[in-house]
Amino acid sequence: MKLTLKIWRQDNAKAKGKLVKYELSDLSTDMSFLEMLDVLNEQLASKGERVVEFDHDCREGICGQCSLVINGQAHGPEGHYTTCQTHLRSFKDGQTLNIEPFRANSFPVIRDLKVDRTSMDHIIQAGGYISSFTGMAPEANSIPIHHNIAESAFDSAACIGCGACIATCKNSSAALFMSAKIAHLAKLPQGQVERAERVVWMVNAHDDEGFGSCTNTGACAMVCPQEVPLLDITRMNYEYNRSLKTIDS
Amino acid sequence: MAIKKGLFKTSIGRKNLMAFTGLFTSFFLIIHLIGNLILIIPDSYFPIEFWGNVASAHDMYNAYSHFLVHFWPISLVAWVLYAALIVHVIDAILITLNNNKAKGEKYKVTDNSTSTWYSRNMGILGTIIGLFIFIHMTQFWLQYKVLENEHDLYNLVVATFKEWWVLVIYEIGIIALGFHLVHGIESAHRSLGVYPKNAMGIVKYIALCFGIIMAVLYAIIPIILYFK
Repeated sequence: MKLTLKIWRQDNAKAKGKLVKYELSDLSTDMSFLEMLDVLNEQLASKGERVVEFDHDCREGICGQCSLVINGQAHGPEGHYTTCQTHLRSFKDGQTLNIEPFRANSFPVIRDLKVDRTSMDHIIQAGGYISSFTGMAPEANSIPIHHNIAESAFDSAACIGCGACIATCKNSSAALFMSAKIAHLAKLPQGQVERAERVVWMVNAHDDEGFGSCTNTGACAMVCPQEVPLLDITRMNYEYNRSLKTIDS
Repeated sequence: MAIKKGLFKTSIGRKNLMAFTGLFTSFFLIIHLIGNLILIIPDSYFPIEFWGNVASAHDMYNAYSHFLVHFWPISLVAWVLYAALIVHVIDAILITLNNNKAKGEKYKVTDNSTSTWYSRNMGILGTIIGLFIFIHMTQFWLQYKVLENEHDLYNLVVATFKEWWVLVIYEIGIIALGFHLVHGIESAHRSLGVYPKNAMGIVKYIALCFGIIMAVLYAIIPIILYFK
């Protein structure tokens, strides 16, 4: 199949970027989206041009490293997929694809389609952890947890931190990403020690990193590769309002 | 130590304030609607008893509006309502400015299929409603309560709605209000973290019903008055 690509090229965070047109032919519908970009890069390299830089790692949909906004939708048109798991069969022969990086003020472009998502790490560092005893690995069944609670916590814990929610949000809010961790740990007994402080720490870090307010449009949950529930944001707001004005450590 | 910042200062705090002021104003809409419905009671329905000797929609409406203006607890609630509306607007501007700052470079191509148009355009809908409220208040609140130019509010209302352009402005304002409510009521519950036994579906349904019922009932009143 044939595809026309309009790819965002930008030398660094300060440079002005623009969309550059590339034509690709003889593509297989079984190729993944990133393999298609590999083919393009091979052609560019053989011509001596600078290759298109993009983030990728595991290419099996579990690491959260791949990004890209394809025709206006984070991770492509399939919904609840990562870019690496999107295949060319999702597109029509001869289609024009608009490929842009994840955009947010807190996601500065490093080069081309690569963005710096460190701001998300700062939110997790602020409170996305638990206090536990050190030493030997504890006996797995020493803390009884109801099956439904374990399943529900795992739905939230499934977040791979790709940032598609932030890239999709019209306010560039990291609410879904942040709430996934808050809901995950609030549901489990291990998360109770810092339950009240965690949400305050993380929300403060979220605001300091320059993310916006959630306006509950629900667009984030529609693109999330791990289908993190939108209700986690409501859960986070509940946890925030539940925590006291000042919490002494 | 974890310190919660003030309501105006965090992304969640600002949304909580939006939710509180918005929900309070929504309650007012119900009360306001009950008063408005007096306008469309047909005269054949009278005489019914309403605080003594009342024999027509005309008298009943005027008695009701006189009560609203001269009963002090209601005046007190009215001041809270004005404050709530002003805070709602200021807070909305603060949130929008902050969100615009958070946004990076604009996408060349956007796909909006993942959310509803009215949930994305609450600010525009709110601005339409704000302009509508301004017109609405200069027409009635200013004339009746502040300047006291007109003492027979029923006559003023009926005369005002005989103009076609008034009808058009009111219908536009009410349609904007309906969409604003459908998203606003659901969003307010989400922002406050209210999720009764994970029953967000019920909240969503209530928001939809509330928005539609309010919009339809408010919308028919000017139409009936225009053709009466």
